[in-house]
Amino acid sequence: MVAIVTHSLSKTFKSLGKASVHSVTDLNLNIEENEVFGFLGRNGAGKTTAIKLLAGLLKPTKGSAALFGVDTRLAHARSMMGYLPEHPYFYEYLTPRETIAFYGRLRGLNSKERKSEWERISELLDLRDIADRRIRGFSKGMRQRVGFAVALVGDPPLLILDEPMSGLDPLGRRMIRELILQLRDRGKTIFFSSHVLSDVEEICVRVGILVSGRLAACDRIDKLVGNTAKSVEICATGLDDLFCRKQSNFILEYEERKEGGYRLVVRDTELANILAMEINQQGGTLLSMHPVQETLEDFFARIQDSASDIALAEG
Amino acid sequence: MNRIFAVADNTFRESIRDKVLYVLLFFAAATILGSKVLGWISIGQDIKIIKDICLASMSLFGVLISIFIGTSLVYKEIDKKTLYTILAQPLHRYEFVLGKYLGLLLVLALSLLIMTGVSTVYLVMMGGVTGVIWFQAIFLIYLKLVLITAFAIFMSALVSPIMGAVIVFFLYVLGHATEVLRNLPPQFEGTASEKILEIVYFVVPNLNTFNLQSEAANNVPVASSFVIFALLYGLAWTAMLLILACLTFEGRDV
Repeated sequence: MVAIVTHSLSKTFKSLGKASVHSVTDLNLNIEENEVFGFLGRNGAGKTTAIKLLAGLLKPTKGSAALFGVDTRLAHARSMMGYLPEHPYFYEYLTPRETIAFYGRLRGLNSKERKSEWERISELLDLRDIADRRIRGFSKGMRQRVGFAVALVGDPPLLILDEPMSGLDPLGRRMIRELILQLRDRGKTIFFSSHVLSDVEEICVRVGILVSGRLAACDRIDKLVGNTAKSVEICATGLDDLFCRKQSNFILEYEERKEGGYRLVVRDTELANILAMEINQQGGTLLSMHPVQETLEDFFARIQDSASDIALAEG
Repeated sequence: MNRIFAVADNTFRESIRDKVLYVLLFFAAATILGSKVLGWISIGQDIKIIKDICLASMSLFGVLISIFIGTSLVYKEIDKKTLYTILAQPLHRYEFVLGKYLGLLLVLALSLLIMTGVSTVYLVMMGGVTGVIWFQAIFLIYLKLVLITAFAIFMSALVSPIMGAVIVFFLYVLGHATEVLRNLPPQFEGTASEKILEIVYFVVPNLNTFNLQSEAANNVPVASSFVIFALLYGLAWTAMLLILACLTFEGRDV
């Protein structure tokens, strides 16, 4: 079953005396059940607006969105979703236990269900040691844990997480990463935005990249970056700095290796073969030659650049 | 319904932790207990003056609580971003508005109960008599607060707390002066001002409908139809204002 589907979802913000801002334009998404989907984009690309449209916090200017076939404008759609905002804020005077109970009541759970929900969630997120402390004095990491806990209340099949790892220390990030994988293994669908591309590569199969409110790419990570060798790396010994400088017209970069010899990077295999012959003629020894695959970060940068070029060309 | 009560319960907890409430309740109690001073000035009228001041304090401080807490209730949730996780729950927006409203009504009921207790005990200690009219007057003050709070919530969904407080206080003053708008001096006859003030008369609730202060001070009973009319009048205005508040909030992006 399709967990999230959007059709031409658009949001334009209008304010008196100011130009309209097209935050999200014609967004078409199709997220399958039990998928971990990474939603990427630079600051201001429209990720949070798109997520708020899915969470029912904003009304679309055009188009529609549905969660498990239910329009996001209906309250029922939200019963199937848990939401973690970018900066989760809760009532400061409540404790995590009271907070979970409050959200449990909003989800229609009775007192027995709320109690068992607390047991389940507090164990999953290790909240027991801070169960009865007021949120007022909590650090960013502790608030994020409470935020995640709130998203899990009622055990919804879909989790929409806006920057779940932002502002967390390495241990906090690892905890969230492991939790997302654990929830995926339990059959949950997870839609999350992030700036940390290494985390996205590690836990997502598919990603969507938003550039200026438009979906510039959406596919499996291996399809987006897998077949593209961005360059070829050659390692060789018996060379000197003068040789490397002489080849500078087709070497992208070079450096002396700690273990001896040089590491040289050329654009493609054709140039790599020419360079290999040059090394041979120079009396050097070729140690290795292998293609360098494009990473998600490279792809991300490339798609931003091409979007900027299009924007410049359009004037 | 359970979701409305969850929000109401939480709003009640939040409001009773608000320092503004205690400051206002302190001043209300101080005014009530200080009413004896004015009683001394008016020889032989002290009980009447005490009753008058007690009821006026309940009305004024009740309205101040309603304005200070009510006009920031919804706005504060948007400003502090606590609303994001709440509205992302399977909750209708009107349920949120009604929950907030009911929570504040509970706070007002508790505040008025405290003020009634202090006033009544003080009055009895001073040798005064409190009949049915005394409690009828307090009931109507509460009804007035029910209406004002609905307007405060409506403003809270629309404008900033400061702007909302000014508008609600303006309505409170204007609502007590609607008779003036109806009985204008002859020089207004046929002028555009007369037409405008007539419109204002119809769009502003007549808060004197809830005023039994003078009758309670003089211990003069009123017909039950007066109280019933005030009840229906208050509830009709409240329902209309709450519908407006819910509709305003429904269309708002957060």
